[in-house]
Amino acid sequence: MVRRIASLWSSSIGKKALMSVTGLLLIGFLVLHLVGNLQLFADDGGKSFDAYAAKLKSFGPLLYVAEFGLGALFLAHLALGLRVTFENRAARAQRYALERDRGARSFASATMVVTGVIVLIFLVIHLLDFRLREMAPDGLAAMVVRRLSEPAGALIYVVGVAALGVHLSHAFRSAFQTLGLSGKGWDTPLARLGKAIAIVLGVGFAMFPLVFFSGAKKASHQASLEPARPIHAASDVTTEAIR
Amino acid sequence: MSSSHDTHASHAAAPTHEKKHLALTLHVWRQRAATSEGKFVTYKLDDVSPDMSFLEMLDVLNERLIANGEEPIAFDHDCREGICGACSLTINGQPHGFERETTTCQIHMRRFEDGQTIYIEPFRANAFPVVKDLVVDRGAFDRIIAAGGFITARAGSAPDANALPIAGDVAESAMDAAACIGCGACVASCKNASAMLFVSAKVSHLALLPQGQAERSRRVLAMVEQMDKEGFGNCTNESECEAACPKGISVANIARLNREYLRALACGD
Ligand code: HEM
Ligand code: FES
Repeated sequence: MVRRIASLWSSSIGKKALMSVTGLLLIGFLVLHLVGNLQLFADDGGKSFDAYAAKLKSFGPLLYVAEFGLGALFLAHLALGLRVTFENRAARAQRYALERDRGARSFASATMVVTGVIVLIFLVIHLLDFRLREMAPDGLAAMVVRRLSEPAGALIYVVGVAALGVHLSHAFRSAFQTLGLSGKGWDTPLARLGKAIAIVLGVGFAMFPLVFFSGAKKASHQASLEPARPIHAASDVTTEAIR
Repeated sequence: MSSSHDTHASHAAAPTHEKKHLALTLHVWRQRAATSEGKFVTYKLDDVSPDMSFLEMLDVLNERLIANGEEPIAFDHDCREGICGACSLTINGQPHGFERETTTCQIHMRRFEDGQTIYIEPFRANAFPVVKDLVVDRGAFDRIIAAGGFITARAGSAPDANALPIAGDVAESAMDAAACIGCGACVASCKNASAMLFVSAKVSHLALLPQGQAERSRRVLAMVEQMDKEGFGNCTNESECEAACPKGISVANIARLNREYLRALACGD
C-alpha cells in the first residue's frame, strides 16, 4: 500500500498523474480567480471588488488554509515539472547531430518548462504586488489599477498571462491523456476544450492590464474619488456591513 | 544493367520514365565500440540505383569498403520486409526516415534526390546504448517484456478457434496494438526518449483480451517499473512517437496504459 502510494511520486506515470491533478486543480482556481477579478470592471470605482476582497479576508483562518493548499499544489506541480524535465533531458545524454520532428509536437508542448518558469516568476511578482504588500489606503482595486496602468506593470502582467495561456493550450488535453481519460471519441473535444480554456484564461486575464493601461477604465477609477454618488453610497454600505 | 531496369519500370514511383542513378553524399555515424568516441564519416556514392532499398544502398557501400580493406558499417537488419523491427536507423534526423508508417528496410532510394546529402545516425537514448556504428542494444525492450509481457496459458493442443468470444471492436484494438514490432522508433523519436508507446502497445494488446486478464494488474505495474529502471524518459504527450511509428500505433494506447497503471495502483491485486 505504502509502496503503491510512493509510486505516485516515483514512477514515470505516477509523477505525470500528480502533475495533471495538481495542474487541473490550479486551472480550477484560475477560473474562479478570473470570475472574481471581473468585478474590477464594475462601474463603481472598485467598490464591489474591494468588498469581494474583504469578504475573502473575513474567512480568516479558512483563507490561510486555502492559500496553503494552493501553494502546495503549485509547489508540487513545479517540483514535478522540473524533475520530469531534467530526467527527460538526461534520458538522451548523447544528442542527435540532426533532429527533425514530424510536426506532431506544438510550440506549446515543446516549451512547457519555459512557459512554466515564466508563470512562476510572474507569480512571485504578482504576490509581491498584491498579496505581500501592505494594503493601500484607497483599497485593493485602486492598487491593482495603479499597478496595471504603469507600462512595466502592464507588460509584466501581459507576458505572464500569455505564457500561462500557451502553457495551458497543451496542458489541459495532456492532463486528460496522462490520467487515461482520453481516447476513442474524446480526443478532439478535449483538445478543443483545452484550447478554449487557454484562450479564455489567457485573454481574460490579459484584459485587465490592457484595459487599465490603455486608460479605458481610468475614468471610472477617478470617478470613485468624486464624493457621494448614490451608487457608491450603496456599495459603501455593503462594504461596511461585511466588515 | 539497363535491361533489368526496364523489366521493373512499371513498379517505379519515379516521375520520369528513365531512371537515373543517384549521386549521394552520406554522413554515417562510425563508432568502433560501445565505449569509444564516435564520429561522422563522409562517403560519396555516385551510382545508386533508385530501385535499391536503403539497406541495399548500405550493402553496396559496405562491399566497397570491404574491397578497400576498410571496416564495413555495422547496422541492424533481419527480415527486410518491415515486420521484424530490427532495422534501426535515423535518416536525416528521423527514425526510419521521412516516410510515414515505413521501416528503414522498406524505403527505396527512388524517394531520394540526385545530389542529396543524407545523415545516418543510430537511435539515440541512454536506454539504447550504441554497440557499434549504427547498431544499438535494445535489450531494454526485452527486459520490459520479460517483466510482464506474457500470459498464463494451458500448454498442449491449441484451443479451438473462436472458442473464446471477443467483441469485434475489442479484437480490432488488440490487433492494432499487437502490430507493434518493437523497433524502438518511438523511443528514438521522442524528445524525452520515452518508451511509453512501446509499453502501451504491449500492455494494451494483453489487457484488452480475455487471455490477459489473470496478470492484468501485476503486468502493468511490473512493466512500467522495468521501463523506469531502464532509464527511459517520461511521456509529455507530444505524440511524435505515433507519427514516427512504422506500424501507426496510436497514442490512445498510452492513455490506456496510464489508465491501466493508475487502476492497478488503486485497486490491483
Ligand atoms: C498556474 C500555473 C500552472 C498551471 C495551471 C499548470 C497546469 C499544467 C497542466 C494541467 C499540465 C499537464 C500535466 C500533464 O500533462 O500531465 C502541466 C504540465 C507542465 N507544467 Fe504546468 N502549470 C502551471 C505552472 C507551472 C510551473 C510554474 C511550471 C514550472 C516548472 C510548470 C511546468 C510544467 C511542465 C514542465 C509541464 C509538462 C509536463 C509534461 O507534460 O510532462 N507548470 N501544467
Ligand atoms: S529489417 Fe525487419 S523490419 Fe526492417
